[in-house]
Amino acid sequence: MLAVAMLAVVNGQAAAGEQFPPRPMRLIVAAAETSPASTTTPTKAGTGDAAGAALSAAQGAGEGTARRSERLALIKRRGTLLAGIKTDYPPFGTVNENGVPIGFEHDLAEDIARRIGVTLTKVTVSSANRLQKLEEGAIDMVIATQGDTADRRKIATQIEPNYYSSGVTLFVPPDSQLRDWPDVRGQKVCATQGAYFNREMARRYLLDLQMFGNARDAKLAVRDKRCVGYLFDNTALAADVLRPEWAGYKMPLAVSLVTPWSIAIGRGEDNTDFEALVSDAVADWHRTGFLIEREKAWGLQPSKFLQDMRVRWTQKGPDGQFVCRRFADGSITPECRNQIFLSAADASGLRRFGLQFKDLTGIDLTILYDTYDRSAFFSGLLVTLLLTVLCIGGSLAVGILGALAAERRAALLRRATLLVSVCGRMTPPLLQIYLVLVGVGSLLTGLGITLNPLVVVVACLSYYTGSSVMVAMLEAAGVRRRTVPDYRITLRTLREIVPNSSGPVVAALVNVSKATMMGSAVAVPELLSAATSIVAEHGNVGVVMNALLLTFLALIFVVVRVLGKLERKLAREVAQ
Amino acid sequence: MIPFNEIIWDLVTWTPFLAGGFAMNILISLVAMLIGTSLGWVIANMRLAPSPRAYRASLYLTEITRNIPTFVFLFYLAFMLPSEFTVPFTATIVGFPSWLKASLALSIAVIGFCSDNLSPAIRQWRKGDHGVALLFIPSWTSYALIIVMASSTASVIGVSELVSRCNTVINATGKTQIMLPVYLYACVFFIGFCYPLNILMKHLKTVIGRRLQAGYRGTPSVSSISGG
Repeated sequence: MLAVAMLAVVNGQAAAGEQFPPRPMRLIVAAAETSPASTTTPTKAGTGDAAGAALSAAQGAGEGTARRSERLALIKRRGTLLAGIKTDYPPFGTVNENGVPIGFEHDLAEDIARRIGVTLTKVTVSSANRLQKLEEGAIDMVIATQGDTADRRKIATQIEPNYYSSGVTLFVPPDSQLRDWPDVRGQKVCATQGAYFNREMARRYLLDLQMFGNARDAKLAVRDKRCVGYLFDNTALAADVLRPEWAGYKMPLAVSLVTPWSIAIGRGEDNTDFEALVSDAVADWHRTGFLIEREKAWGLQPSKFLQDMRVRWTQKGPDGQFVCRRFADGSITPECRNQIFLSAADASGLRRFGLQFKDLTGIDLTILYDTYDRSAFFSGLLVTLLLTVLCIGGSLAVGILGALAAERRAALLRRATLLVSVCGRMTPPLLQIYLVLVGVGSLLTGLGITLNPLVVVVACLSYYTGSSVMVAMLEAAGVRRRTVPDYRITLRTLREIVPNSSGPVVAALVNVSKATMMGSAVAVPELLSAATSIVAEHGNVGVVMNALLLTFLALIFVVVRVLGKLERKLAREVAQ
Repeated sequence: MIPFNEIIWDLVTWTPFLAGGFAMNILISLVAMLIGTSLGWVIANMRLAPSPRAYRASLYLTEITRNIPTFVFLFYLAFMLPSEFTVPFTATIVGFPSWLKASLALSIAVIGFCSDNLSPAIRQWRKGDHGVALLFIPSWTSYALIIVMASSTASVIGVSELVSRCNTVINATGKTQIMLPVYLYACVFFIGFCYPLNILMKHLKTVIGRRLQAGYRGTPSVSSISGG
């Protein structure tokens, strides 16, 4: 069985390990030797603490009202903890060359047993049978790469805080330049048929998925450059990047569609001293950095989840207490809980209203009720407004300066200006932005200079639009010369061409304010960038895209009105 | 020092690939012009219709198409339209390629342009003033060139056109020193295509204008081009 399981892993089927028939294995391991060698019932708070942290007062409070667990009493009487654990999912649960089961989750199970003060008995489980075995009572606890979902909460007690998380990422060749999900838009991405996340990922990140029957074929296609990367579960890929066959292969993109993992205990164990013990253990692991240390020890890439949890669970309030903690009634500070399980009842104010509206209509207005999304959208709007003002000002400045230069009595200057303007009008602004930011930027990096993307975007859009503004002014000057033959554009005579040029100039300025969103292509944090990252986080494509379009229409409407007003005011002044 | 020969050789090697990308820009633009002109023609006719309701509707429609930012609309369509759909009453699944979404987004701007410029042209044509109406052709072509510029924005939704292929070349060669040359080379494609056509259209405008002055009384009004 072990050989079969390992073979499956070598074949790159780690995540599909559950296909194999569930055959439980009992292996009593040496880990138990380190725990207090007695079957007496040690008090929880006094047990050997692997991470060596003092238990907080809050944890003590948690025991106050908790029911006594029959299961915990049984474990103590039995003298051993039966933990359901995987052996086919390296490096979370696997076996070493001597056939001894080891892994990240095995270390966690051992620590729980140590805290209870009993030995550990590992029972191999699969994804298919882990909760069934728990339900049958064949095991006391599941630590087996199990995602914390609403459905699973109905059949088992899922322990919060969550101890790890998995999500979707891209497995790419060593020479890949991909850094973030927008880089993958519209690119061919290999995927395995039937993976639950394929559709959603394609929708959120506009991926062009190429389907393969199994992981092995998909990864070979990545090697042969038939696609830019393989879309799969990051924890399953974790083992691949450690294998010599895939040396140098990497997972550079942020993990998406994150599912937190939880330890599960029996359905009837909620709000008992058993739940309190395991929950406090996990909280303690986050506070002491035990999980981060184990993650590193098993060669896993540092996960953002663990880093965030560490920060959150070690934060202290003004009263000197941990902000994230379990209260006497067994509840955990709402902000520290897994947000996906917060219902309208747990929330307050605008968020409560937003969640109720979502339950009712299915429309998720995160940009209104979610503080983070709302501020992201708002600051995106501010950057877009700034870009708009700067681009309009810049285009006018470039246009006027160009027109002044072209009208000077110097043939060379005139010709040079006209040539520069032709190039400006006939090179797509997006290409100009790449040319300057990436092309020229690559030369400047050698000199230790980095270009600011926002400045580059404003400069390029001003150049592109300014060239058109200049042409409009020169044409108006031509018209003016029909009545005043020796007319020439200078700062003093500029006003004379206002009536003939203001129409096309205003049209060009309206156009440049529509083009400011190009900044998103080079990661300027404007409105479109904010919108696509909210979509990536929540998947509420419809709401965000409609909000984006409406906001922008309103913005253009305002720009048109303001410029129109200025145009009329200027025309009146010139007429006087 | 920068190995010039090597860079030139790289650019030559990748030229067919880049040219294929530019062909995609032209295709996107042509389809956008085709869709936009047909719909714009309908709206332009509505503007000339005797019914005040049709007239008012045409003005609203033109106003909307003028205000929709094509770049944002491109994202909107990319996210909101499916990448494939089933033909009604059949089992056939038809792909909805992203370049077509780009064409659709760009066609919005073309609708507004055609509505504004076609309705005077149609009016002149109906009056029998065919020469003035013909001035629409150089304006239309110049606008098509603006759409060719704008077609490069399709790269941000992953359409494999010229700008996007420049980035592909940079990634494929893995050379930092090719970055600037490859973008400059792409500029040559755009300027090389647009500049001669632009000169030609200016010439055409002058020719039509001269003929008009010879044949008719008064000077033709040349509507200025706006767009982007």
